[in-house]
Amino acid sequence: MFEPVLLKNLDRPDAHRLAAYEATGGYRGLARALKEHTPDEVIGIVKAANLRGRGGAGFPTGMKWGFVPKAPGRPKYLCCNADEGEPGTFKDRIIMERDPHQLIEGMAISAYAIGAATAYVYIRGEYVKAIRTLGAAIGEARDKGYLGQNILGSGFDFEMHIHEGAGAYICGEETAMLDSLEGKRAQPRLKPPFPAVEGLYASPTVVNNVETLACVPHILTRGDDWFRDIGPEKSPGPKLYCLSGQVRKPGLYELPMGISLGELVEEHAGGPLSGRRIKAVIPGGVSAPVIPAEGLGVAMDFDSLAAAGSMLGSAGVIVIDDSTCMVKVATRIIEFFHHESCGKCTPCREGLNWVVKVLRRIEAGRGAPDDLDQLRDLCKGIFGNTFCALGDGAAMGLRAALEHYGDEFAAHIDRQKCPFH
Amino acid sequence: MSPPSDMRAEIEAAAARYPDRRSAIMPALLIAQRLHGHLPGQVLEEVADILGVERIWVYELATFYTLFHTEPVGRYHLQLCDNVSCMLCGSEALLAHIETVLGIGKGETTADGLFTLSTVECLGACEMAPVMQVGDDYHGALDIARLDALLTRLRAEAGAAAGATEMAGE
Amino acid sequence: MPDVTINGQKLQVEPGTTILQAAESLGLAIPTFCYIKRLPPLASCRMCLVEIEGQRRLQPACATAVADGMVVRTESELIAETRSSMLDMLLANHPLDCPICDKGGECELQDMVMAYGPRESRFRDAKRVFHSKDIRLSPVIIMNVNRCVQCQRCVRVCEDVVGAVALGTVDKGMDTAVTGFEGSLASCDQCGNCVEVCPVGALMSFPYRYKSRPWDLVETDTVCPHCGTGCQLTVGTRKGEFKRIRSKWDAGLNGELLCARGRFGLDFVEAKDRVKRPMIRRDGELAPVSWDEAGAHLRRCLDAVRGKPSGGVASPRLPNEVLYQFQKLMRTAFRTNSMDCSSRWSTPVDALRPLLGEFLTRAPLDDLTRSDRVLVVGGNVTEENPVTDYLLRDAVRQGRTGLLMLSARPSRLEADARAVLRVEPGGEASGLAAVAAALVAEAAAGDAGRLAAELAAAARVSVLVSADVLRPPTAETTLRHLGHLLRRLAALDKGPAFQFLFDRANQLGAWDLGVLPDVLPGLGAVRDDAVRNRFAEAWHAPIPAESGHGLDGMLDLCAGGRMGAFYVVQSDILAAYPDRDLAARALGSAELLIVQDTFLSETAALAEIVLPAAGYGEEAGTFTNGEGRAQALGKFREPAFEARDNLAIFDFVAAQGDHPWRPQRTDEVRDEIARMVMAYDGLAGKPPAADGAFTSSDPVPEGAAELPALPPAELPRGGLLLVTGNGLFHNGYLSERSSILNTIAPDPYVELSAADAERLGFAEGDRLLVRSAAGEVAVALKINRRFPDGLVFIPENYRDLRLNSLLRRGEYPCPVEVIRAPVRSPVAPSV
Ligand SMILES: Cc1cc2nc3c(=O)[nH]c(=O)nc-3n(C[C@H](O)[C@H](O)[C@H](O)COP(=O)(O)O)c2cc1C
Ligand code: SF4
Ligand code: FES
Repeated sequence: MFEPVLLKNLDRPDAHRLAAYEATGGYRGLARALKEHTPDEVIGIVKAANLRGRGGAGFPTGMKWGFVPKAPGRPKYLCCNADEGEPGTFKDRIIMERDPHQLIEGMAISAYAIGAATAYVYIRGEYVKAIRTLGAAIGEARDKGYLGQNILGSGFDFEMHIHEGAGAYICGEETAMLDSLEGKRAQPRLKPPFPAVEGLYASPTVVNNVETLACVPHILTRGDDWFRDIGPEKSPGPKLYCLSGQVRKPGLYELPMGISLGELVEEHAGGPLSGRRIKAVIPGGVSAPVIPAEGLGVAMDFDSLAAAGSMLGSAGVIVIDDSTCMVKVATRIIEFFHHESCGKCTPCREGLNWVVKVLRRIEAGRGAPDDLDQLRDLCKGIFGNTFCALGDGAAMGLRAALEHYGDEFAAHIDRQKCPFH
Repeated sequence: MSPPSDMRAEIEAAAARYPDRRSAIMPALLIAQRLHGHLPGQVLEEVADILGVERIWVYELATFYTLFHTEPVGRYHLQLCDNVSCMLCGSEALLAHIETVLGIGKGETTADGLFTLSTVECLGACEMAPVMQVGDDYHGALDIARLDALLTRLRAEAGAAAGATEMAGE
Repeated sequence: MPDVTINGQKLQVEPGTTILQAAESLGLAIPTFCYIKRLPPLASCRMCLVEIEGQRRLQPACATAVADGMVVRTESELIAETRSSMLDMLLANHPLDCPICDKGGECELQDMVMAYGPRESRFRDAKRVFHSKDIRLSPVIIMNVNRCVQCQRCVRVCEDVVGAVALGTVDKGMDTAVTGFEGSLASCDQCGNCVEVCPVGALMSFPYRYKSRPWDLVETDTVCPHCGTGCQLTVGTRKGEFKRIRSKWDAGLNGELLCARGRFGLDFVEAKDRVKRPMIRRDGELAPVSWDEAGAHLRRCLDAVRGKPSGGVASPRLPNEVLYQFQKLMRTAFRTNSMDCSSRWSTPVDALRPLLGEFLTRAPLDDLTRSDRVLVVGGNVTEENPVTDYLLRDAVRQGRTGLLMLSARPSRLEADARAVLRVEPGGEASGLAAVAAALVAEAAAGDAGRLAAELAAAARVSVLVSADVLRPPTAETTLRHLGHLLRRLAALDKGPAFQFLFDRANQLGAWDLGVLPDVLPGLGAVRDDAVRNRFAEAWHAPIPAESGHGLDGMLDLCAGGRMGAFYVVQSDILAAYPDRDLAARALGSAELLIVQDTFLSETAALAEIVLPAAGYGEEAGTFTNGEGRAQALGKFREPAFEARDNLAIFDFVAAQGDHPWRPQRTDEVRDEIARMVMAYDGLAGKPPAADGAFTSSDPVPEGAAELPALPPAELPRGGLLLVTGNGLFHNGYLSERSSILNTIAPDPYVELSAADAERLGFAEGDRLLVRSAAGEVAVALKINRRFPDGLVFIPENYRDLRLNSLLRRGEYPCPVEVIRAPVRSPVAPSV
């Protein structure tokens, strides 16, 4: 049986308090890192654990930390990506609301590893409760000497601040987040230079997701092999899955990486609502292409989902049943990306606007026979040509919807109405 | 109008967290909006002056981010999520219901200034879809009955508050 | 150096070269929108996507650095499809109102669609419309948001180059719109560079709106007359009528950049106060007459003053050819060396000449801004030479140089400086002395020390000096201290390059060509027999051997009733001389005041004879800018009314006397200059080419010795001190006749520091009286947050203000008091 790691204290009402956290072994990872390891060793341990980023792209965390130049000179920064805007995702919120010290400890260890003295947690502004809870926890940790000067007598100084977002999905994209932190409109930056070399205030910067950072203390206390032994070799570890949509038991589930999508939906989340059948599942937030019911055997890890033409993304699993019109779902998803496009690059800004207009028309029963070709061409024009991955996500999702549910689109156009109404 | 002194102090405290004052524009706008309700041009100018940054930078941010309002909003801002998970769980019906009950459409404010209605993108609480944020609070697993109860409660709360200020005024 | 293969062609490039640059060097065109040379790449438009072998996705050529062994294709079916697709998307919401769009015919989007676009768009939904009406952002800038393609060139130029940070981008995604704070650009620099760089008809020039189609314009390349930066620009006229200015992009030091004066201030050519016909004084009044009558009158008057001293002043805004002929005429026909080329100061030739000979660097500003440090001395470069300011900011932001500033008047550019030394008004000399001393001191503290340390740490240094330092009576001392500092830098192997920043378009030309009392063209001394004889032979006339008087001396002669003929060419001494009372007395007492001018200036109104002269754009010639670059002036219209070319008027004047004088056309004069003045030998035979022709420095024989450290000038201390100079939108004479500039900046103002304003209880916009021992003027207050306390600034360019009535010769900076202007009794409300 898999024992929850990140959510192990979820049922304790006082899990957000320092005392409760300490009582269950909290801050021992930090102590161990500071007392027993050099920063390089910490990076080595995280590398050995093969922790991959939980923010969406699955980039190996230890490797990212390793890119930070060792030379003193410019200050280094750690940024925690708590913008969590990917529709279908709510895991980071729950960590921050329920067990925020995991994140603080993880950040302190990470900062030690990369040599950062300052960190910012970029939390979306809607998460008022998470902001308050994490803020209070930071205060507790500071009072107890887990943050601030000379932490645990190690000589390591580290301070963290919360930066409240103000409503823009693109802030989740790491370089747009850096611009936002610098007080600019959040728009992605050119890469290279990568943030690890030139990020916040042109200084070396590591950006990691909340869940990624929350894994770090556990790796330090329980060892890299313990972590590596959970789930598939190439993307190991415990994983938070966000279940929502037309499913019996929506909620946050912690299970190993690599669990099958079918098991997740059918067994853990209770399967479809009564009298319905599952039609499709979006496995990793709306940026991830939809997987039709036939494909539910796929394993929930970065590589398997990529091989299946989708992605693990934020592990926001959205279940869609047979009562739902896929054109409507696709339209709503593209409307989201269109609304959240930062506006920087042509294909995303203009292309998605065009796509939305066509989709709305089809959904409203005013589609034209060549609309599907047009949509496919637009996907082609957008995919791969946008400045950042937002536009890619939109185009990939639409392409998959057209591929798997082309007949539903065609039916709308043929009948000049939505067959689900 | 000179800025309320605590606004300046709060903004200065926020600015101290960053090596560059431009970074404090966002926190400053959040502070200003909390104190002023929304962000008219004059408030933007004050924020720019306090931080000593370009006005256009402040204006850019005030319009880029959806949580900032350059126009007034009602006392309760009903922000109904209509993204996929909430949609799959019935947010459309809720929207239609609010529109009928309050007699306003998306982006509008009731004549009494009590409610402004918006639909918003995913609130990050899909496990309790459909969700609506009102002020700082999330209200999840909504259905028509719970929605009605919520609106009634908000109305009562506003009435009580109004009564309280009236009494205080007497 | 990386090797790269582009479309099968191999080449080697400098590390860091982008694919776009590499392709350009092979002559391969890659379409772009958001890219502009001057700015770091944005890579947002995605027009320039190209294939790189081994990479899954197309990559933006504008932002991708070439790596060794890279194999790039810029043409393929996929690339063609992608370009077409980007254009199709851009067009989807782009209004197809080309027939009424000012940009139609010269629009990059139009051109791009023709070259790479879809043949027809499949877009059939409703286009987005932001605003059905265009938005008037400022008096000169109007925006059609619907046409914007979001290349952000405008915003980036405004922030990174102009430094105004006036334009920004509001909202996001499809709603993104470029605009100013709260939708207004009312308080920006109005330079219009945003309009210039806009590839489409989104940002437009309001004055040019609906004025013409580009193909109906006759375009003439020329040089801006407004300051010594010497920007190149193109004048568009239609049927001889002035329509617009645009930048030339690929020529001159300025490229696509201009300032408000250059871009919007050339409509002065249409000003109404032209001198239409010759005028002579009859019964105390100026009366229009024919050229013949004027000639007869002039002959009589010249006879009457024969044997008396004479002198002349010519404006440093005149072309080289005119200036050269002017001094020749003064020296040969009027037999005098008394002359000057400023209406505001007597040129301190003694101190100036060694500086020019020893240090003046005739080279592109771009070279100077590649030295490790650039020191800017005096004035306010942001307001006086805006495009120089832009170029300096650009150089700093791109990391090409570090900036150091020393001046009394703060400027916006200081925000980008590594060290700033603020000196007392008129205190440049002491500032320079302090820096020179700190440069050799063991450890020097304070701002001067910091500035010196920056200079000391640099391998190569450039020094740019505002001609504003010539204003105070201490100018000579300042120049000597400047020489001292330059010599010290040279001794420290900093190879100092040095240029002046002039506020007059051809100040350097006027100096080079000897419109000065003691030097001849080429800056050789009049007293030097060999030099003088060379010119006397060439001109077939003797030249007086003794030095003449400069402006101050000539005015003294006039005021003392001893001056015979005083010949003033396009110079408004009464309006500009920093002692109005003295100027009025002098001009009134000259026996024969001849004024040759385009406009009826205040000085002309006092003349005995007024001769109508061709104005800017009405005759060809050359200007020499602050870089020492001689550039050709284009003629875009005929002299208006009965005006004649300045050269023809000299011939006319000479003909009324009995002197040997050979009439010459512009090109003949230019050839003579090239022959007689070594520095100008590049001008022989033809007008300068598109990029101008650099003059060279004739070595000046004397003055190389190390000067003893000079005692700094005595400064008036304490209280409020008035300095004057150019504001951003005006620099006198020409600009004050621009109706567009007058809508941008109609009213004079006084600048005070915030603390002074508060201490005196004044608020922004208050009407104040500025009072000196000599007089008072009423102006509105502009609080300048950069100002040091005690500094008072009023721009000198508002004729009606008569600012020089506050000033007395030798008393500058001028002590003043500032009080609230008495309230005019309000109009009684109608009942
Ligand atoms: C459009 C877009 C939105 C994103 N949103 C988020 C987000 O909300 N949270 C997050 O952690 N990462 C998000 N990412 C991924 C980040 O860019 C980045 O890869 C991640 O924060 C790195 O952290 P990790 O290595 O710990 O996963 C987003 C990426 C894109 C392109
Ligand atoms: S794909 Fe382009 S417009 Fe879209 S969010 Fe990314 S950079 Fe902005
Ligand atoms: S020119 Fe390269 S992306 Fe615009």
